Amino acid sequence: MARNEELYNAILKGDRNTVQSIFQTAIDENRDVNELLDFSMIPAMREMGERFSRNEIYVPEMLIAARAMQAGLTLIEPILAQNNHKSLGTIAVGTVKGDLHDIGKNLVVIMLKGAGYDVIDMGTNCGIEKYDNAVSAGAQIVMCSALLTTTMTYMEQVVNHFKNNDTIKVVIGGAPVTQKYADSIGAHGYGRDANEAVKIVEKLTGAIA
Amino acid sequence: MKHSNLASLAKEQYRLKKRLVAPLMGMPGLKMINSTIKLGQQNFRIHYEAIKALADLYQPDIVFPLMDLSVEANAIGRYTLFPLDDTATLPHVTFNLSQVKILPKIDITADTRALGYAKVTALLRRNIVSKILKGVYVTGPYTLAALILGAEETARSVILDSQGLHALLDYTTKVIENYTELLIESGAQIVCILEPSASMLSSSHFEEFSGNYVKQISALCAVHKVDTVYHVCGNTTHLIKSMAESGVSGLSLDSPDSGVNLPQAITEVPEDVVIIGNINPVGKILTGSPFEVKEEVNELLESVDQFPNFILSTGCDLPKNTPIENIEAFMKAGREYRISAF
Ligand code: B12
Repeated sequence: MARNEELYNAILKGDRNTVQSIFQTAIDENRDVNELLDFSMIPAMREMGERFSRNEIYVPEMLIAARAMQAGLTLIEPILAQNNHKSLGTIAVGTVKGDLHDIGKNLVVIMLKGAGYDVIDMGTNCGIEKYDNAVSAGAQIVMCSALLTTTMTYMEQVVNHFKNNDTIKVVIGGAPVTQKYADSIGAHGYGRDANEAVKIVEKLTGAIA
Repeated sequence: MKHSNLASLAKEQYRLKKRLVAPLMGMPGLKMINSTIKLGQQNFRIHYEAIKALADLYQPDIVFPLMDLSVEANAIGRYTLFPLDDTATLPHVTFNLSQVKILPKIDITADTRALGYAKVTALLRRNIVSKILKGVYVTGPYTLAALILGAEETARSVILDSQGLHALLDYTTKVIENYTELLIESGAQIVCILEPSASMLSSSHFEEFSGNYVKQISALCAVHKVDTVYHVCGNTTHLIKSMAESGVSGLSLDSPDSGVNLPQAITEVPEDVVIIGNINPVGKILTGSPFEVKEEVNELLESVDQFPNFILSTGCDLPKNTPIENIEAFMKAGREYRISAF
């Protein structure tokens, strides 16, 4: 399938208007929006993730690309729901209890959406109950973000809470979090940035399927 | 014009084969005098006593006050919370860039808390031996903008509304300049500009939205023959050059765990700019043993042995519950180290 260069570049540039108009035209003309999503928008967001990982772009560029993509997603979400667009899985993402930092978490959310997952965004300050609710709503992976050394310890409680439930995987991240810490508390995965967050989820969902 | 007393002092020590030692610490002093962060940030006598206790015990080369990013934001009327024993924070309140013109034209030098911080500076200057330099903190222009507008919205505005953001930065810079003058009049010898939120920017955006405004503040300090230090926490690897070009005489950098490579950073700055850092404040010094702290400090000092323009410090503010014996180990290791490069 061919890539729509205009859409691809609009995501890279964070050009929300162009993204909206391309999707709106496709919807008006009854064209397949899945194709735009899968062959243009998702690859563009992946490219942004890679560039971010390589320190070629920074948070502002990521945020406006994310905003452009979100605008596109909002337009096509009703259609995707109708068409039973096959989701790759449901992922819950939230910043842990006591912590209000959400910029990194928001980037993880948008990258996962971009990669084709259904995402439950639990927001900030998430206690165990919020994670439980997300699991009840179908989440197979719960992702915890923390930016404070004082709140990252809460992740251990989340891991322990789901310890006896083999179907749920816990993935953690945030600036002070390391692979070593993830291993020490028995988390199923860790990602250094939003790009790695998607990669670890892809690995784990492959394992779940 | 740059005022760079810090670099000369660091070089002088280097010739004696020694290092200046100046951890960013204030909070542990509150533990020493059995008080709380809330009281320390609101009562200048308690604040002063906490810093004095630290200075008396450890005799660092520079004293710093409590790190408090809420002073200027609170003074211009933003909603501020004072938890019982945690640093003051600003819950997010909706604001947009079209409202910049209605931000209050506040005389920050008449704000109660700002005056409290000035008073602390004056007391420290008067009552602590003159060989210990008196540092103060001001919020950075971009970070103050982020506290007003929200960190995410500010980051987006860098691209989507640069003009609006510049108007806000003109405003925040004026507020900070006023506050800086108050602190200098009160006896500050080093003004450390706290700019953590700008670590999210690319180097060109950093220069445009932080560095250029910091230049104005460092120029003001230079007129008064006061040193300025640019403190940006997080991974600043890509920002070192821009930071060094803003007329400041010191860069205070975060720990290796955040991604900063200190020996590499020093090679990127001119000799009249000192690099200050960068023991992880929440690593071994918080959770390890005194022996581990000593090893970490020695390792850092060895890695920069050949550079005169270095001051041993922590990558960011030490938490209140940092074990006293670990701070002691940090100071002792710093004091006992001898340069072997020549
Ligand atoms: C912006 C900011 C704020 C904003 C937050 C706004 C918001 N809506 O998020 C405000 C002003 C509200 C704030 C408040 C506070 N902050 Co703050 N803040 C920062 C700052 C400057 C940037 C953080 C950030 O957004 N980075 C950019 C994002 C994109 O990076 P990221 O979050 O790491 O996310 C990436 C990866 O980690 C990963 N990731 C993130 N989450 C997840 C999750 C999973 C599952 C995975 C796989 C990956 C992943 O992907 C992301 C994209 O690549 C940092 C300092 C710095 N320079 O880093 C301090 C910092 C985090 N804050 C700090 C502190 C102490 C506080 C306060 C206590 C008060 C204070 N001193 O300012 C309060 C606490 C409030 C609370 N209860 O949470 C400290 C933390 C110290 C520590 N290590 O414990 C820091 C390090 C600054 C410092 N040195 O003092 N802060």
